[in-house]
Amino acid sequence: MKSPKLKILSWIAQFAAAAIMGQTLYFKFAAHPESVQLFTELGMEPHGRLLIGAFELIACVLLLIPSSIVYGALLGACLMAGAIIGHITELGWEGPRLQLGSLAIAVFACCITTLIIRRRELPLLKAIQTEKPTKRARPKD
Amino acid sequence: MSTKLAINLHKLARFTNTAIPIFTLLSFLAGWRISFYFHFLTVPMIGLTLINYYYLFAQRNHSLLRNFGILGQGRYMLESLGPELRQYLYSGDTEERPFNRTERAEVYRKANNVDSASSFGSQNDFDATEVKLRHSLFPISKENLLPYRLTFGEERGIQKTYTLTVPFIISGMSYGALGKSAIRSLARGIAQTGGLMNTGEGGYPKYHLMENCDLAFQIGTAKFGVRQEDGTLDDQRLADLAAKDQVRLIELKLSQGAKPGKGGMLPKEKITAEISELRGVPMGQDVVSPTHHPECEDYHSTVAFIRRIQEVSHLPVGIKLCMGDPRQFAELVAEMKRQDSFPDWITIDGAEGGTGAAPKAFIDRVGMPLFPALKSAQDALVSAGVRQRLKLVASGKLINPGSQIIAFCLGADAIATARGFMLSIGCIQAMQCGSNTCPVGITSHNPKLERGIDIADKALRVANYVHSLEHDLDELLCAAGARCVRELSFDHLYVPNETLLYPFAHRI
Ligand SMILES: Cc1cc2nc3c(=O)[nH]c(=O)nc-3n(C[C@H](O)[C@H](O)[C@H](O)COP(=O)(O)O)c2cc1C
Repeated sequence: MKSPKLKILSWIAQFAAAAIMGQTLYFKFAAHPESVQLFTELGMEPHGRLLIGAFELIACVLLLIPSSIVYGALLGACLMAGAIIGHITELGWEGPRLQLGSLAIAVFACCITTLIIRRRELPLLKAIQTEKPTKRARPKD
Repeated sequence: MSTKLAINLHKLARFTNTAIPIFTLLSFLAGWRISFYFHFLTVPMIGLTLINYYYLFAQRNHSLLRNFGILGQGRYMLESLGPELRQYLYSGDTEERPFNRTERAEVYRKANNVDSASSFGSQNDFDATEVKLRHSLFPISKENLLPYRLTFGEERGIQKTYTLTVPFIISGMSYGALGKSAIRSLARGIAQTGGLMNTGEGGYPKYHLMENCDLAFQIGTAKFGVRQEDGTLDDQRLADLAAKDQVRLIELKLSQGAKPGKGGMLPKEKITAEISELRGVPMGQDVVSPTHHPECEDYHSTVAFIRRIQEVSHLPVGIKLCMGDPRQFAELVAEMKRQDSFPDWITIDGAEGGTGAAPKAFIDRVGMPLFPALKSAQDALVSAGVRQRLKLVASGKLINPGSQIIAFCLGADAIATARGFMLSIGCIQAMQCGSNTCPVGITSHNPKLERGIDIADKALRVANYVHSLEHDLDELLCAAGARCVRELSFDHLYVPNETLLYPFAHRI
């Protein structure tokens, strides 16, 4: 079904998403002051930080296991949507926050790309799509 | 005013479609103003809103979703759960098709060598729709039974006759329809009983040959394995195959119960590189065999072609067909008589027969059911005075002793079954033979699914199944007062007026 090119694109997106999410995990779990600062502003210190870190870890793993990619992408997209909301409503985009925010957007985009390429694997949205009508030879007269 | 306490689904759907975005907005506000934790709700709700809008406005495939949105999906979900729910929870023991739970359970018990005695009473009907065996007032005991022997080819006095000692033949199933583990399990199991297995029309029977069982090689309309470029028979290749020790019989398939008048079908999902090589067909597209053999254009050429196969192979040669019009069958027999040339056996496959893949219309609506077809064949042969010139084999849902004994009474010399043996190696009737997704790996070429089959264990089940069937056949023969199946006749049957056999019955 999927063309090999799309498949490669999907894997690139998955790796990118997992890599970016994965490298922020360290800061979250190690209670890096900047991370603590972020979550304090959100009013989620410390449980929220650890909870979201755990979810991100799960998303990273799911994104790399072939049979669960779509679910990883779905979870990742949800988490990043949350992060983006955070930037919009509380954190803002100044200084280093801009970089963090754009990384969240990048991961979000990667997850959505993966989801779109692999939409057939989702349990929802299964339409029986045949765009082309079938052909049948008719006698000409 | 309606007094029904029913939920108005239209209103509910409209309410849901309005409530979802509002609820999303509320949780967003709560997340913003009260606690960021509320955004754990906001995000999925945004997703739900988007999906709902997609269903309502973007997709065009499902009218129900266009009109009602996400709630409509509930219907599809429930519907897709239906078959499982019904199978596991709601359908009665005698309701399912093609085999109900009682019938399947009997095979499973036989395959596991568990005592199949039941208690309290029968679940079957005793009304006018059920044929029963008439037992004798004077049953005989087992010592008086004659051992089962059926020699194919004895009528023609050929050298390489084949003597069947197990009356239950594994009916044709090709490598392609079945996976290799299933085939090897069946082959190994039947070898343990000394019985016979038919290869099906899958070309060179590589996996059937592995377990040292006796084989009947089947020539389908596409002649896989023995085909020339133009689709006609390659004599040399047939002779080579027939020279193999294990190949004891040749069966020419004219038609098959599940799709009479149509060639075999192998869906592209199931064509692996190996199968495409064994059959000589391309990968990536469905393979549909021709409707008939180019050599068999009419009665005369058909009989001549059977004779040619007999001459080329030096083996007993039979034909397999599903009865369409008994008059045509009678005409075929008359032509055999005219040319004084008979196949060594005829397999009558009932329209209820199974298949790996066939069009629904053919599965459901084409061909005569086994019992009347078998009886017509027997009558045609008897009235032409040639019944002793060949053997009759019957197939079509004959998976249990109760139905097998009826076929014997109708004139069958041996029974062939495909699905009975599939059930014996663990088929759960998931009905996915054509899609390569068989959950128990019998009709799949996916190694992950085939992994479920342990060949040694399944072979044992095949042998158990055969031995239990033989045991029950013996007991039924004793009850009927017959020493062997040949002594059974139509008069041993009680045929009430709503059965398919009633038109053939002279007394009740
Ligand atoms: C999976 C499967 C594959 C089959 N393949 C063949 C085949 O290759 N050639 C053939 O003549 N019949 C084929 N059949 C039909 C059986 O040989 C048999 O005639 C039919 O199923 C009736 O027997 P049953 O009701 O005991 O299963 C196949 C049946 C099944 C279920």
